[in-house]
Amino acid sequence: MGASAVATATILDTPEARFPLRLGIENKRIRDLFRNATRQQWNPATDIDWSALHPEQYDDVHLRAARMYWSRRAWGEYGAISESPALQIRFCHERCVPDMALFFSIRSQEESRHAEVCYRMAEALGGYFEEPAATAYQGSVATHGIRKMALDPDISLEGTIAALVCAAEEIAFDVFLHLIDITVNPVARQVAKMILRDEVRHCAFGWAYLEQRMPQLTAQEREGVRQAVISLIEKVELNGYHSSWLAPENPASNAEVEIDRLTWEAGLGATTEELEKPVFLKSIATMRERMRDAWGLEIPLFTHRKFSAPF
Amino acid sequence: MPVTSQTTSLQTERRFPLDLHKADDDIRGLYEDAKKARWDPETDLPWKQQALAALDEKTRSAARRVWSRRAWVEFTGMTETPALLIRFCLELNRESDPKYFLTVRNTEEAWHVECFHRYAEICGGYIDSPANPAWERVFNRNLYRDALNAEVPIDTYVAAHCAFVDGLELELARLWAANANEPVARAILEHCLSDYARHARFGWMYARRRAATMSAEMRERVAAALKRHIEEVEFAGYHCVALATTIDTRPDAADLELVTQAGLGAAAAAQEVAVFRDCVTRSRQQFADFGVALPTIQHPQLGSF
Repeated sequence: MGASAVATATILDTPEARFPLRLGIENKRIRDLFRNATRQQWNPATDIDWSALHPEQYDDVHLRAARMYWSRRAWGEYGAISESPALQIRFCHERCVPDMALFFSIRSQEESRHAEVCYRMAEALGGYFEEPAATAYQGSVATHGIRKMALDPDISLEGTIAALVCAAEEIAFDVFLHLIDITVNPVARQVAKMILRDEVRHCAFGWAYLEQRMPQLTAQEREGVRQAVISLIEKVELNGYHSSWLAPENPASNAEVEIDRLTWEAGLGATTEELEKPVFLKSIATMRERMRDAWGLEIPLFTHRKFSAPF
Repeated sequence: MPVTSQTTSLQTERRFPLDLHKADDDIRGLYEDAKKARWDPETDLPWKQQALAALDEKTRSAARRVWSRRAWVEFTGMTETPALLIRFCLELNRESDPKYFLTVRNTEEAWHVECFHRYAEICGGYIDSPANPAWERVFNRNLYRDALNAEVPIDTYVAAHCAFVDGLELELARLWAANANEPVARAILEHCLSDYARHARFGWMYARRRAATMSAEMRERVAAALKRHIEEVEFAGYHCVALATTIDTRPDAADLELVTQAGLGAAAAAQEVAVFRDCVTRSRQQFADFGVALPTIQHPQLGSF
């Protein structure tokens, strides 16, 4: 084994009860996402034109930064492989509509494709890094806490999906769209496009699930969903999980911000605080509006040292 | 829901350093093969060519039950594979190759579930529970808990469930496919066979890889886990109904007989047991090759395996 272990109460402690085992279509939108995902599979090894990368066109400083940037992207995608499958166990355990577990099986594969393609990109640029340059930055990128939430019987599934998918993944989606706009290198751009193609479905899953569930929740449960979204934005997103410039100010996060700047300067895939800020703000505003219109939830304004006013 | 007496112990992840390099050429090759072999249950199966119209009601009902049961078995992967994937990520210094591979395996399991369900539907309707409730406890085995339980060494789990079980599922599917004349049943089983072959190869490859560095004590634990799995799960009739000793399996065996005769992709209960017996014999030899001695196992009615 080698790793330390903890024993806390989880959904694993209740016996499995899979019958009656429903397998028919109960949420058509999610089943369609599963089938679309099946049709739209791609392969990082063969569907990216790696020959168009031309790393020889870049100097060592920019190449090193881009290697670190794409390595960091790989760590983030890996987080989804390591943690999100716990949600699939939760879906089955709670006997959610069967479409959800089917869709998540392919979603995890897509996350592994994303980790693989980001790793390949880092390798093609000169070599993947196995960890952040400074350990102080690990706290920002190590985990989004989804595994723990998914396995905790006291944390609502609806809150977890609202936070992870309808909030965090929507922000990631908007940032990817922005990256496609500003990335010059054709391979970096193609990688971002391929990832985005999958992320569209990941986001749609969350809204499709909650459209079905929200009307069935009590006022207290709806408040739990709201709190989960607020918590994820404040503790994960505003801590720099996706955007290094939002991480706590220290030499380690400053170094990561510089990595982003150099990678962006080379046109190899990153963005900068100045460029990403309006995208991030718009994403938060859109999410807030959509949650209000679709679910009647009021998400409050947030504050962060990087913004002069609540947003 | 009732709470079990034990709290499951989970490992704490240490994410960094995060090695994503290829560590095992063969397993990475399986992952690459799996990505290339992707298929689509909607478009790659001849659903419109189904030849079920001439079936009598008795056979059709039997087919519904047999293919529904197949979906229940396959559904195990919907929780077991994500659990195993998480476990690989929690373990210190595990290779990236099995993690990548398991994500594709789980998609394939989802396709199989969907196909088996849909085939049961076209046979007259999928059935969501066993007619005899005694079967329920045979399926409700909490395998995902075992896969995540820090007190169960992952290598014993892989040996029992990825090498032996996936090997058995491959051999059973081969047997069913050999008896499948109906075009849709045959096409489903042929597609599943390619996937099952990779799943079994993964199990054996990884078991062999890990056995090379196992202590004598760990080899004994692997052998004990295999023996326990065969006694508690297989002898309960999980894969082969005729192995069950505490449930009246005559209705299940009669269903298999009818579905086999109609060419709908099954095999007689006794044929399944014969495949199981061969599988135990071959697995025992394969495990012995890397130093794991699977003892003789006594079935209450069928003698020693």
